[in-house]
Amino acid sequence: MNPSLAVIFLTLFSGAGFGLMAMVAMVNDFAIDGALSPLRTAILVALALLLVTMGMVSSTAHLANPKNAWRAFTRWRTSWLAREGVFAVLFYPLAIAYLGWVFFMNNDRDGVALLLGNAAALIGLITIFCQGMIYACLRTIRQWHTPLVPANFYALGLALGMTVLSTSRLLAHRHDLAMVSIASALLVAAAVMKAIYYFWIGAPSGTTLQTATGFTRGRVRLLDQGHTFGTFLTHEFSNSISPGRALRFKVAVYLLGFLAPIAILLTAAHVAIGLAVLLAPLLAFIGIGLERYLFFVEAQHVVNLYHGRMPGSLPQMHPALRAGAENPAPAGKRRLVPSYEER
Amino acid sequence: MSAVQHGHDQGKQEIKYSTCYMCACRCGIKVTIEDNRVRFIQGNRNHPINKGVLCAKGSAGIMKQCSPARLRSPLMRKPGTERGAGEFIEISWEQALDMLTERLARIRATDPNKFAFFTGRDQMQALSRLFAEQFGTLNWSAHGGFCSVNMAAAGLYTLGYAFWEFGDPDWDRTKYFMLWGVAEDHNSNPMKIGIEKLKSRGGKFVGINPARTGYQAVADEWVPIRPGTDAVLALSMVHVLLSRELFDWDFLIRYTNAPFLVVQTPGQKGDGLIYRDEAGHPLAWDLKKEGFVNGLDAACHPALFGEHKTPDGRTVKTVMTLLAERYLDDRFAPENAAKICGIPASTIERLALEMAHVAFKETIEVAVEWTDWAGRKHDKFIGRPVSMHAMRGVSAHSNGFQAARAIHFLQILLGTIDCPGGFRAKAPYPRPVPSPGKPAKRSAPNTPLDAHPLGFPTAPEDLVIDEDGQPLRIDKAYSWEAPIANHGLMHMVITNAVKADPYPVDTLLFFMANMAWNSTMNTANIQDMLRERGPDGEYKIPFLVVVDAFHSETVHFADLVLPDTTYLERYDAISLLDRPISEPDAVCDSIRHPLLALDRDVRPWQEVLVELGGRLKLPVFTNPDGTPKYKGYKDFITYYEREPGIGFLAGYRGADGSKSLRGEPNPQQWERYIENQGFFQYHLPKDIRYLRFANKGYLEFATEAGFLKSPEPIVIELYSEAIQKFRLAGLGLYDGPMPKERVDQERLATYFDPLPDYYEPLEQQRVDKNEYPFFAVNQRPMMMYHSWDSQNAWLRQIIAQNHLYMNRARGESLGLKDEDWVWVESHNGKIRVQLRLIEGCQEDTVWTWNAIGKQSGTWGLKPGAPEATQGFLMNHLISELLPEKPGERRITNSDPITGQAAWYDLRVKVTRAAPGEEGVWPTFANVPPLPGAEPKPDVLRYNTRAKA
Amino acid sequence: MRLGLVIDLDTCVGCHACATACKEWNTSSITAPLTDYDPYGKEPSGVWFNRIRHYEIGDYPNNKTINFPMSCMHCENAECVTVCPTGASYKRPEDGIVLIDQDKCMGCNYCSWACPYGARELDRVSGTMKKCTLCVDRIYDETLPEEERQPACVLACPAHARLFGDLDDPESVTSRAVRERGGYALMPELNYTPTNHYLPPRTRPSIPTSDLPRGSLARKVKEWVNRVIER
Ligand SMILES: Nc1nc2c(c(=O)[nH]1)N[C@H]1C(S)=C(S)[C@@H](COP(=O)(O)OP(=O)(O)OC[C@H]3O[C@@H](n4cnc5c(=O)[nH]c(N)nc54)[C@H](O)[C@@H]3O)O[C@H]1N2
Ligand SMILES: Nc1nc2c(c(=O)[nH]1)N[C@H]1C(S)=C(S)[C@@H](COP(=O)(O)OP(=O)(O)OC[C@H]3O[C@@H](n4cnc5c(=O)[nH]c(N)nc54)[C@H](O)[C@@H]3O)O[C@H]1N2
Ligand code: SF4
Ligand code: SF4
Ligand code: SF4
Ligand code: SF4
Ligand code: SF4
Ligand SMILES: [Mo]
Repeated sequence: MNPSLAVIFLTLFSGAGFGLMAMVAMVNDFAIDGALSPLRTAILVALALLLVTMGMVSSTAHLANPKNAWRAFTRWRTSWLAREGVFAVLFYPLAIAYLGWVFFMNNDRDGVALLLGNAAALIGLITIFCQGMIYACLRTIRQWHTPLVPANFYALGLALGMTVLSTSRLLAHRHDLAMVSIASALLVAAAVMKAIYYFWIGAPSGTTLQTATGFTRGRVRLLDQGHTFGTFLTHEFSNSISPGRALRFKVAVYLLGFLAPIAILLTAAHVAIGLAVLLAPLLAFIGIGLERYLFFVEAQHVVNLYHGRMPGSLPQMHPALRAGAENPAPAGKRRLVPSYEER
Repeated sequence: MSAVQHGHDQGKQEIKYSTCYMCACRCGIKVTIEDNRVRFIQGNRNHPINKGVLCAKGSAGIMKQCSPARLRSPLMRKPGTERGAGEFIEISWEQALDMLTERLARIRATDPNKFAFFTGRDQMQALSRLFAEQFGTLNWSAHGGFCSVNMAAAGLYTLGYAFWEFGDPDWDRTKYFMLWGVAEDHNSNPMKIGIEKLKSRGGKFVGINPARTGYQAVADEWVPIRPGTDAVLALSMVHVLLSRELFDWDFLIRYTNAPFLVVQTPGQKGDGLIYRDEAGHPLAWDLKKEGFVNGLDAACHPALFGEHKTPDGRTVKTVMTLLAERYLDDRFAPENAAKICGIPASTIERLALEMAHVAFKETIEVAVEWTDWAGRKHDKFIGRPVSMHAMRGVSAHSNGFQAARAIHFLQILLGTIDCPGGFRAKAPYPRPVPSPGKPAKRSAPNTPLDAHPLGFPTAPEDLVIDEDGQPLRIDKAYSWEAPIANHGLMHMVITNAVKADPYPVDTLLFFMANMAWNSTMNTANIQDMLRERGPDGEYKIPFLVVVDAFHSETVHFADLVLPDTTYLERYDAISLLDRPISEPDAVCDSIRHPLLALDRDVRPWQEVLVELGGRLKLPVFTNPDGTPKYKGYKDFITYYEREPGIGFLAGYRGADGSKSLRGEPNPQQWERYIENQGFFQYHLPKDIRYLRFANKGYLEFATEAGFLKSPEPIVIELYSEAIQKFRLAGLGLYDGPMPKERVDQERLATYFDPLPDYYEPLEQQRVDKNEYPFFAVNQRPMMMYHSWDSQNAWLRQIIAQNHLYMNRARGESLGLKDEDWVWVESHNGKIRVQLRLIEGCQEDTVWTWNAIGKQSGTWGLKPGAPEATQGFLMNHLISELLPEKPGERRITNSDPITGQAAWYDLRVKVTRAAPGEEGVWPTFANVPPLPGAEPKPDVLRYNTRAKA
Repeated sequence: MRLGLVIDLDTCVGCHACATACKEWNTSSITAPLTDYDPYGKEPSGVWFNRIRHYEIGDYPNNKTINFPMSCMHCENAECVTVCPTGASYKRPEDGIVLIDQDKCMGCNYCSWACPYGARELDRVSGTMKKCTLCVDRIYDETLPEEERQPACVLACPAHARLFGDLDDPESVTSRAVRERGGYALMPELNYTPTNHYLPPRTRPSIPTSDLPRGSLARKVKEWVNRVIER
């Protein structure tokens, strides 16, 4: 799939925002490490709103016809995308009310605050689920059609949220071990979930060019795709990454997205490292951003079969495209699938 | 229907009928027009050719009509600029025509042959030929010589009709269809309709072709033949049939010259000629009378086989005996043929037997009473439902004439000629064998020719040569180098004119032919020749006129460009005098008429020709008082009569339009065609639809319609006496003109075989097969017509780059990979192209799609268009001359009999390009835009609803 | 009613006529125009509703080439409709045609992700998703002669490899063809239940040749016995 920045940012930032909101609510609910101060709660909720908004705004960049975006809520009965929209929109009044209450009442522990905070957190969590389901419900993309996707979205969103939250505490020189431990645990959980996912998508898919065309008796090869240059379909679906490159990316995901943040958080919880603690969320965002890039670029839509390319099931791929598949944009070489944006 | 609005406002729409021009299939179209813009082009379901369907090119006509490559006004090379630099100034039609008239009048008054007029896939050849004839130049021909004259000549010298456009399989009845060397051809839509009919009936379709795409994709059996070897395959099947006595005795005796006797006096004059009586009748041996009889006599009982002594002691044998002796030879045994054509012996044998089974065991009958030429009544037609079609895969080789004849032999032995289920003729064919009419030989100042510039030689006397045996035509057609070049040799014109061999010309006019690019061999050198100057500083070809509708590669070499309209903007007559569109069951012709108003300063070429005819006072176009006779093209078509009652259009003749085929001119003829959706068809009565060569009713009908001079039966010629006469001239045994040069003598003696035989294509005899291991051929893509569809914004999305295709296993064994850039080298030059390895390619063959490569800046494309940077022409590798041989003059790379351009004789080697060597080579300088050229939009949103 | 197409892979020669005819009809039709990008330039591309792909099956010399047209299958379980958040995509209950309301679409591409058959293409200029309409503005247009109330691609196809009809009606040309020729739907495992079906290439029985006389090459021409036949 086309790893468009708009969609990468949408899931990355809004996931982190909802995760942060959920973590704020949890920390206050259970007074973990003594809960947050109303001001800090307000700041973190504002940050959550900012992250969610960044995600939402960037997602509209993905729309070719944004003037109809308002219609996106109408089909909530069937469409996970509509549902995501509905819940994302619902999130705002609750989160803002919570923020307002906490800020103006200067109390984040009263019933109203707890109610508003937990409600906002719940809506955020539901939104993450919808977001996951947007991908998981697609039978056309095997790498997405799995409950591991919403599970991953949760793990990653919450881990990011908690990383941000603990960083904010560490910045204030509070060595809140419980929070750091939760953040680390969430990061570890996310890493494990992601590992399970990576193993799962490695398994071969049953659908091949043979079954897709109905010619199951012989080897099927693409002779000609019927057009010399790219089309919407090749632009949208035919991105891919070579296994070697994907592995390097995954190492980076683990190093930047999981290991480094844990290490920094744990270090900061014991020794003062000052502003350097900001590296934890920064690297987490970069690492998980890379993870999100891989999430798209490794996803292979079945329609690629018809274009003779389906990395992962290399034998069906037209060798003409193999070179391109292993190295999406060889420098100075004509790309087999030209980019739309370039024109 | 609530949510759906109509895509069109019917109120503003008009529906008009015309004829497609995107290829020479000439389908009927139904055009919906809105505000002088085309809304939709659809097939006309009433039309005899396409019955409602339409191909990709036809459907994309809208994009042709709005192409930015359309020429907009007459252009003159900017004074002081170099030819080929593409610098032009716009001039008025008055200026253009004055300039041309003055020049042509001068030439006509001195030496009319100095005006050479060559036309491409002109659909109005009858008019251009008439013009040339009236002008008095021998130097006219259309594209047939570089296209498929081998098919035409082989058919016309054998059956009286031919593959190409003169015959069709009986799609409604055939049960076995064998397709030889065809990717698309001109009967594009009918062939597809027909193949579907055949397959839905459960018939078998065999595709003989080194490549498996298009038609061969749906073939029940694909026979991956080695290029240039079809004659071996066909004759080996003949061998199988003969060896099992599987041939149609009755057919051979009744309708062919198989029982005629041939004189066998090797080394003497008269050897190999038909044994004739004093009156010139061919003689046969009568089995009942036990003596020689006139073989044309209805009541005789000729022996098919046998050898006899004539009263004067000469040995004579029947044609069939010679044929059997020849083809029963071990050379043609499947095991031996297999070594040459690459098809397993068992397959050759099986295919022959399958056809024999269908022909003889699945015979069909059409119960209609008919009368044969001798007046005998029959109650039915017997059909042998095996049919064939063949085209350029066979014809574009220098052994194509004989190969096509070999294929006809199969058809004749099986008795499948013009019978139900077989290969049927289309009016005005069949013609006598060989066709009557000899090529014009003499030209004189201010005098029309005394014959058509093209004709059908039957003996060396008919050649168009001077007393020294030198060619009289610029293309050397009808000279010893190409004695029966029935369509001329357009591919030789530039080379010969530049070399002044046989003489220089003054003005060369090309109509509708991209002679500086895809329709020439040796493209880069030809471009140089067009720019070549003599010692006097004058261009070797002093004046080049190009008549085109679009900005082709040839346009920028012109001194004068005359812009034509598009097919939706003019009157055209698709005439029986021309390349006919008849169907086996009906005589047909059709028209075009202007559907759209002109928005540029262009004129239909036909209109211009008629006007030039008047200006030059050519007799046919001029009144006795010297004024122009016709008001224009429309008027000319209405009133011109070739012979009384016969004009360009056969329908709605007679003063009131009630006569068909023959009748006085009808002033309302065009209107009647337009009312009838642009075509005319005359359905043949059922009893004259088959065996027309010997069908009394048909022969009489055809004579009345002007197709034949007299209703004599047409005898199918297995043995060609005409060809033998040329051979005798080569052997020095002829009473008449004989060639003086050794090379001509050898060529005649070797290739002019009265019975078809296989010989290795000429170029291949001269190149080292180890050095050049691959055969290289082309295919037409179904959605592109030669060079002219790259300007089509829709079609070029489908294909804007061509690759070189090679058999995968073979490529891998050479260490080549898909998408590698490779050098392809022939004896004539080399090119760099991109490779694709596929399964559907015979191992020794590489092929590519034809004419995708373009010169940068032409065809309304922006510089950098992939057609110019990644697409390529194979033409660079093909030489118009055979590789040089010491002590021999340079000889054309053409069939030695017909002069057909041998495009597909090419042999090449393929090697991987060095790292970093990418993109096609050679590339050509970018051509600057023409004055007033239309802008090329970055985004196109064609829509008749809202002008986008 | 379940209207759709049946494609005959036994006769499709891959000529692209259907694709071009579709483009031509629809460029001025209900989702008009079908934008072309860089039409005369370096990388020409554009919006099409019907594309022909070409495949090779098996290895030389036992290979077969298959031409494979694909357009919207008008699926029963049209996930493309289910996932559309705006309601722009819809399936008509009366005939099963899947359409996109150009006035509602926001161009999110999501439906195209849900379509396994590559039937949907975004028009980058209008910003809306477009796809085969089954020529809904032809097939019901009563101002057209009855025989022309067919999709443009079906009318054009020279090989009659495209059939149009009601796949719910067992007697329609399409249903009969599917029944008699073993028509199949693509990727049934995804459960979209496409309406369009494909007819596999026919296998034809071999032609007997054992009923023919077995001559022997040894017979010399001179021994051929003539038959007495009047000319
Ligand atoms: N779409 C489209 N239609 C066209 C044209 C076009 O440009 N585009 N051009 C028109 C013109 S001018 C012409 S002349 C006709 C020509 O129409 P075709 O006769 O179809 O011509 P080609 O495309 O040259 O196809 C030649 C075929 O023969 C095969 N072949 C090559 N060598 C051999 C051989 O030695 N033996 C055999 N058995 N096969 C061989 C090639 O693989 C190829 O499939 O098409 C006409 N129709
Ligand atoms: N390598 C290789 N070369 C080949 C062949 C091959 O198979 N392989 N095939 C050969 C064959 S068979 C042929 S027929 C030739 C074809 O070669 P050409 O006949 O040269 O083919 P086109 O490229 O179609 O060029 C015809 C010209 O007609 C112009 N034209 C189009 N419409 C109109 C019109 O309405 N009026 C006027 N006045 N002009 C118009 C076009 O713009 C174009 O410049 O190519 C030959 N060349
Ligand atoms: S085959 Fe196609 S291009 Fe040729 S005349 Fe017919 S519709 Fe036109
Ligand atoms: S083919 Fe694709 S677009 Fe058409 S109905 Fe099925 S899922 Fe939807
Ligand atoms: S692109 Fe348009 S039709 Fe498709 S899902 Fe989005 S809004 Fe619906
Ligand atoms: S039914 Fe109409 S819209 Fe659909 S592919 Fe055919 S022509 Fe195009
Ligand atoms: S028009 Fe017919 S034969 Fe041509 S590609 Fe389309 S379905 Fe196949
Ligand atoms: Mo041709």
